[in-house]
Amino acid sequence: MGTLAFLLNQSVNALSQAALLFFLGVGLTLIFGIMRIVNFAHGTLFMLGAFVSYTAVRLTGSFWAALVLSPLIVGLIGTAFELVILRRLYKRDAHAFLMVTFGLALVVGEAVRLIWGSDALQVPAPTALSGVIFLLDEPFPVYRLFLAVSGIVVAIAIWQLLERTRLGLLIRATSQNAEMVHALGVDVTLVRSGVFGIGCGLAALGGVLAAPLVTASHGMAATAVIDAFVIVIIGGMGSFLGSLIGAVLVAFVQVFGNYYFPDLALAFMYLIMLVVLVVRPGGLLGKEA
Amino acid sequence: MTSKPRISRRAVVAGAGAAVTSPFVWTSAQAQAGGTIKLGMPLALTGPLGSVGQQQKRGAELYAKVQNEKGGWLGKKIELLIEDTAGNPATCVRKAQEMVERHDCRLFTGITLSSEALAVVPKLAEWNAIFISSDNGDGRLTAESFVPNFFRANTSGPMGTRAVSLYIKQANYKKFFALGLDYAWGHNSVQVFESEVKRAGKEFEGKVFAPTGTKDYSTYIAKIRQSGCDAVFLVLAGDDNNAFLAQAAQYKLGDKVALLAEQLELSAMKAVGDACLGMIVSARYAFSIDTPKNKEFVELWKKEHNGLVPDQFEGEQWQCQRVFEAGIAKAGSIEADKLRPALEDLTIDDIKGKVHIRKCDHQGVQQGFIIKASRREGFSHPVPEVIATFPADKVTPPCNKMTYDD
Repeated sequence: MGTLAFLLNQSVNALSQAALLFFLGVGLTLIFGIMRIVNFAHGTLFMLGAFVSYTAVRLTGSFWAALVLSPLIVGLIGTAFELVILRRLYKRDAHAFLMVTFGLALVVGEAVRLIWGSDALQVPAPTALSGVIFLLDEPFPVYRLFLAVSGIVVAIAIWQLLERTRLGLLIRATSQNAEMVHALGVDVTLVRSGVFGIGCGLAALGGVLAAPLVTASHGMAATAVIDAFVIVIIGGMGSFLGSLIGAVLVAFVQVFGNYYFPDLALAFMYLIMLVVLVVRPGGLLGKEA
Repeated sequence: MTSKPRISRRAVVAGAGAAVTSPFVWTSAQAQAGGTIKLGMPLALTGPLGSVGQQQKRGAELYAKVQNEKGGWLGKKIELLIEDTAGNPATCVRKAQEMVERHDCRLFTGITLSSEALAVVPKLAEWNAIFISSDNGDGRLTAESFVPNFFRANTSGPMGTRAVSLYIKQANYKKFFALGLDYAWGHNSVQVFESEVKRAGKEFEGKVFAPTGTKDYSTYIAKIRQSGCDAVFLVLAGDDNNAFLAQAAQYKLGDKVALLAEQLELSAMKAVGDACLGMIVSARYAFSIDTPKNKEFVELWKKEHNGLVPDQFEGEQWQCQRVFEAGIAKAGSIEADKLRPALEDLTIDDIKGKVHIRKCDHQGVQQGFIIKASRREGFSHPVPEVIATFPADKVTPPCNKMTYDD
């Protein structure tokens, strides 16, 4: 394998991994930005997305249907959770949210075990994406290319949503000054419910897309929640662009670090976080000093 | 207007740490005073090797159910003390210690990871407890880390690797690469494989280790391809195994390189489907092993589990329970001082054929099986087909050793 072919292959691969990390991180950061809630159930919702997609694929026979249904269902579960439980806690201090979202993680985790059992389940990539293409004569899975592209598409979509739409305007405004937005006659609680649902749906989208790579398994939750926190801490809490940069940075360092220094595979992500925390304690694009 | 709660980043980091380290605890059986024989099972029920722990749990539960209907052990019911360790050695030692102190538990099995077992065995003498392994692969447990109160009923990592080595001696592969999980078992098995390949006069092109919980195996796949090997030996389990196989299939790795493995559970074959088709694997147990006892066991299992067949560690756990049963019956006691000599030199004839617990290092001497992941009528996923069986004296290493002399 030539060096150039290798670099190209692994760079596209890193982008595909960045896409998965971005779906996780951006949901968490959107929720934090607007609600100041750290959602500990984020990894579990990522896992739930994968398991729901398993059932959706079995029922509809289509991965594409699962790709739409699973984020929608998990997003609705998130919204319901906000409406029924979180909403009652806004007057409490931050620890109430830590406890209640951690509780949600436990409940959803056990529910998944009861519904789907404890074994990993197969969610095959759609036939159209199961082949390989050749990047400078080196085989590369089409599915990973699809992941990289979907990451870019979703990033642009969220950016446009935040910048160009009324909902985006409200989200940005609410994250800056919720009282003022409320005083201007906007139902802030509705914005919060919506954003919580969108954040959860994005985690589930990551779960669906990760499932053909790692199968739908219970182990997904624990690793995903750590990844999501690391991305958000690196990028800066509440920053959309920060989570994008964090995801790309972590993915590239992990892919190339793993290759050249496999013994340090576990350390890279934390090393980046450590460096960022020392140099910019608020994260790369964070406001908190 | 609602007020915005403030959370410092510090609190988030601390909380994230707590979320990750807090064990998810539940106990399957409430300890009752007297009247039962308690069998402690600290299991990795969650985490990357959760599927292995769940299998051990199911194997022990069915055994306890069947045996308790027959009167249990020594006329007492068997009570399983099951706790989740999430695969963490420190948690495992703590849970086992609690079982000893709170429930006066003196018998252990299950302890899923070799790293957990290695952490527990130094405490056995102090606890006056016997631990019979049902799945621990690390050769050191019956070699340099051997303690008198430890027994291994299962096929060890070196034994599984040896079976693959005996198989490849006859096969056409010339150049090998190895990928193992980056902890005790992975390193141990890869080391044995490397020495076996070299002694067979074939080329060993290199090895790499992946941490448990690795999600992206692409760089490892690239290394395997670059090595120019014609076969790769895998020492992976649980989620890591599934992730690797699913991704290797997407990279079409199997077109160029034969996939050999130390173990492949049925649950993995279900999880990855055709991605494992054709893999040549050493099986510690397979439902398709052709012994009368195994046929009975598979039928019993199917009846209890809606027609499902038993998986590798469900069978291994069953065999382990049978070793307990025979040892306790022979000793007439569960006291370590009486049970230990009873287990030594014990022979049972069960689902995998004869198992002899030898006195010198407490390893269960047993046959080695090579299976191929194959299609079979009535199954929607590949299943293990036994393609070779090696005699016990060929696959079991010399006493207190992990490598082989011949």
